[in-house]
Amino acid sequence: MAAVESPVVSPAPGWARRLPADEKIFLWVVLASVVVMSAFTIGWLYFGHQNPPTAFYRTSPGAFAAKTQAFATRYTGKDGRVHVPVGKDAYLMAYRFAFYPTLVVKAGHPVRIWMSSLDALHGFSLVGHGLNINLEIAPNHAYGAVITPTKPGKYLIVCNEFCGLGHQLMQTTLYVER
Amino acid sequence: MAYVERVPAIAVREERVRTCTVTGLRVYAGAQALTLANAVAAVLAVAVGGAFGVSMALTRAPSLELLGSKGYYVALTGHGVSALILWPVFFEVAAMVFASSVLLNARVWSMKIGWTSLGLMIAGAVMLESIILSGKASVGFTAYPPLVAHPVFYLGYIVFAVGVLLAIGNFAMTIANARVERTYTGSLPLLTYGVAVAAILALLAIVSGLVALIPAWLYSQGWVSNVEPIVYRGWFWGLGHTLQYVNVVAMVVAWYGIAALALKAGPVNQKFTRFAFVLYLILTVPVLGHHFLVDPSIGTDVKIVGGSLMGFALGVPSLMHGLAVMGGCEARLRERGAVGLFGWLRRIDFGHAGIAAMACSLLLFAVGGWTGTAQTTLQLNMITHNTMWVPAHIHAIVVGGTTLAFMGFAYVLVPLLAQRKLWGGRLATVQAYLYGGGLLMLIATQSWAGVLGIPRRVSRVDVGADPHSWRLPMDLMGVAGAIAGLGGALFVVIMVMTLVRGKRTDDPAELAVGAELPA
Repeated sequence: MAAVESPVVSPAPGWARRLPADEKIFLWVVLASVVVMSAFTIGWLYFGHQNPPTAFYRTSPGAFAAKTQAFATRYTGKDGRVHVPVGKDAYLMAYRFAFYPTLVVKAGHPVRIWMSSLDALHGFSLVGHGLNINLEIAPNHAYGAVITPTKPGKYLIVCNEFCGLGHQLMQTTLYVER
Repeated sequence: MAYVERVPAIAVREERVRTCTVTGLRVYAGAQALTLANAVAAVLAVAVGGAFGVSMALTRAPSLELLGSKGYYVALTGHGVSALILWPVFFEVAAMVFASSVLLNARVWSMKIGWTSLGLMIAGAVMLESIILSGKASVGFTAYPPLVAHPVFYLGYIVFAVGVLLAIGNFAMTIANARVERTYTGSLPLLTYGVAVAAILALLAIVSGLVALIPAWLYSQGWVSNVEPIVYRGWFWGLGHTLQYVNVVAMVVAWYGIAALALKAGPVNQKFTRFAFVLYLILTVPVLGHHFLVDPSIGTDVKIVGGSLMGFALGVPSLMHGLAVMGGCEARLRERGAVGLFGWLRRIDFGHAGIAAMACSLLLFAVGGWTGTAQTTLQLNMITHNTMWVPAHIHAIVVGGTTLAFMGFAYVLVPLLAQRKLWGGRLATVQAYLYGGGLLMLIATQSWAGVLGIPRRVSRVDVGADPHSWRLPMDLMGVAGAIAGLGGALFVVIMVMTLVRGKRTDDPAELAVGAELPA
């Protein structure tokens, strides 16, 4: 190892010499680990089962609210909840400080939930039964997440992006039926 | 030619100067006063930020719920502004003044600009704190529109930013002036080089921040009708994220500073170390994509390159510095006769306040680097995004890493600048371990809560899902926050007492305590 140089004074001329072997080896090891991690995250896009949703489109609060309302009106059951038919896309809109509508989906069938906001940035956090999925909900952009529920029961959708005084009240339930 | 020769003559100003009895550097009275004044502002900011932080931790503990929702969001905003922006930036400006003047044996280029910059920064900070405390700016420190705060909030940010811009300009001119007056020759000392990298990053951060905050201010005045939230968020993180790397670079500088003053250690290879600093400069801006990994506005290709791959690459310079700092200490102690694989570690006095803070800082920053690498991975971000995992990461890097490193740097540097003995003796060592231990517990409990999916930045959640599993980690986090808060308060007490009551001395043995144990 070379002699120690003080960091508080100007280094002696010639400091830009070649790197010693030990530091070179360290750099190669670190670079290799970056390559391995990169390969994993890229590979998972093709071989993994859980990746962030890729479907999104530009919209406006008015247009998205109209779409959600039409969808909710059509499929609202006697219990006041919206029963999403198998094979149909669901719509979920977020606004200060609630989600609409309350969705009921079928276990074992993939469902695409389109989500957008009518005002501020909101969060989509799906928790319960050991599940933990988090996405961002933004106004003017619709995000379509495909979810295949496996276990029937009640799940919680919580807003996890601070959206104003009342943020803590913003949550709804997602029902998964057999 | 005549002009060049006349420059030093114009620049000459009557100013008291002394030679530091420990380092032999020439310390001008103006540089000393300006550095200390910025450091005092930093200590006040961290005191306020810490108080907000502890009240948040005690609110999120379900068994206590100290504050109501309104109070919590006041504390949320105040904590972010004070602890994540004001405290580190005041300290970094102190470092800029110090590294450009004292380390180069030079005067500060313009004391007028120096004091004006500090005045603007303090004015901005007072505007921010007072409007936050009034409850009219509970928008979080991110202030995503259409959330709207009182205009004074945005103006406070802008005034503060202008103050920092002046400080950066003064920093550059002070170095140029030192060059012209030949108070140093050759390359910049490593610490000054590192601070210069931090200053360039700070400049980029401020430009991006102004692009975000000026429209937000106009919106709060009602002068523009709409700010696109997604666009604001992008520019805001151009500020928030880049500023975070200013903190990281300044932390690394503090590590080298502590190693130099406590152990007379320096980097083994200047090229390796400076290359690592340059890597921060290259990688920091593109990596802000990692804030948008689960956003509905950009494609997977941008997310994976700008978020994940750049995020992994940004770990490289931090790992390099981690090696270089510890390797420098090892090399130094081997020069002094340490033998065996770990013989050099046994020669370090871990009861030394600076070393204690640096050791905790290195450890916690490593933890934060790991949790950050996890959450910058595209798929894992779906688990961690906006959960308690995020504050766990932030606290590991900014509080565990940067804040503890700054505390350690203050313990070794403030006595030299103030010519006063560090007050409280070994109390500073106790402070470092108490703070570090409390933070480790805080980070562990927050990470645990994050994996369970507990959201961040919410006053309370009426848990319908897993009420029992959500209670324990959050209660323990409250305890951890209280312990860390106690440690933080102790730092403020030690700093204030050192500056007010510390024994006046010029004796090197009292000012600079070495951390090298006899063989």
